[in-house]
Amino acid sequence: MTPPILFETAARPLLLAHAVLGFTTVGSTTHHAIYALLVARGRSLERQLRRFGWIAPAALCAQLALGLALYPTYRVRVRDAVLDHSAPAVSQLFDFKEHLAALSLALVFAAALAGRALARREGPADPALRWSVAALSCLGALFVWTAALIGLYVTARHPVGMP
Amino acid sequence: MTAERTLRAGLSAVAVFAVAYLLPGTLRLPVPLYYPSLHAVHLTALPLGISMRYFADFGLAVLLASSAALFSLKVAPGRASLPVATATAVSLVALDVAYYLSRLVASV
Repeated sequence: MTPPILFETAARPLLLAHAVLGFTTVGSTTHHAIYALLVARGRSLERQLRRFGWIAPAALCAQLALGLALYPTYRVRVRDAVLDHSAPAVSQLFDFKEHLAALSLALVFAAALAGRALARREGPADPALRWSVAALSCLGALFVWTAALIGLYVTARHPVGMP
Repeated sequence: MTAERTLRAGLSAVAVFAVAYLLPGTLRLPVPLYYPSLHAVHLTALPLGISMRYFADFGLAVLLASSAALFSLKVAPGRASLPVATATAVSLVALDVAYYLSRLVASV
C-alpha cells in the first residue's frame, strides 16, 4: 500500500468543486471576451467589462488552485497507475490541458486588468487599445474552453478518487 | 494610471510568462521537483521516480511575469506600437502552444 498523497482523501469533493468552478470560469471568461469584442466594435458596455474584469480572473484563480490541489493525486493514482500504461496519448492530452490552463491565466489577467482600466477611461479609447484587450480576452477564453473540454474528457476516462 | 499603460504592462507579463513557462522545461533546467509519493521536494534537472515539475515551472513563470508587469508599470513602459506589442505577446503564446501541440501529436 503506497502512502497517502497530498489532499487524496478530499479528491472526490475537490474534483466536484473543480468541475462546478470550471463552468463559472468558462462562463465568466466567455462573457468578458464577448463584452471586450463589443466594446472594440464601439459599443458602450463599460459596466459589464468592469464586472467581468474581476469575476473572470477570480474564478480562474480559484479553479487553478483546486486543480493544483488535485494534481498530486492525479499524477500518482491516475496518470502513473492507469493512463501511462493503458492510454499514454490521454496522459499527453492532459499535459497539454495543463499548459493551456497556465497560459490562460496570464491572458485572462492581462485582459481583465486592461479591460477595467479601459472601462474607467473617460472619452473614446484608441481602437488599437480596444482591439488588443479583445484579442487577449478571446484567446484566454479559447484556452479556458479547450482546457475545460479536455478536462471533462480525461475525467470521463478515469476520474481521481476512483479505485 | 492610463488604460494604455496597464495594457502594456499586461502584454509584458503575457510575453514574459510565455517565455518563462516554456524554457525551464524545454531546456531541462534544474527546478524544485515535487515527489508526491514521498512528500519531498528536490532541486534537480533529472527526476527519479514519479515527480512533478509543473508547480515549479508555473510558479517561476508567475513570478517573472508579475515582475515584468510591475517593471513596465513603474519604470519603463514599452515603446512599440500597441498592435506590434500585442502581436508579439500573442505570437509568443502561440509558440508555446505549437510546441506543446507538437509533443502531443508526436505521442499519438
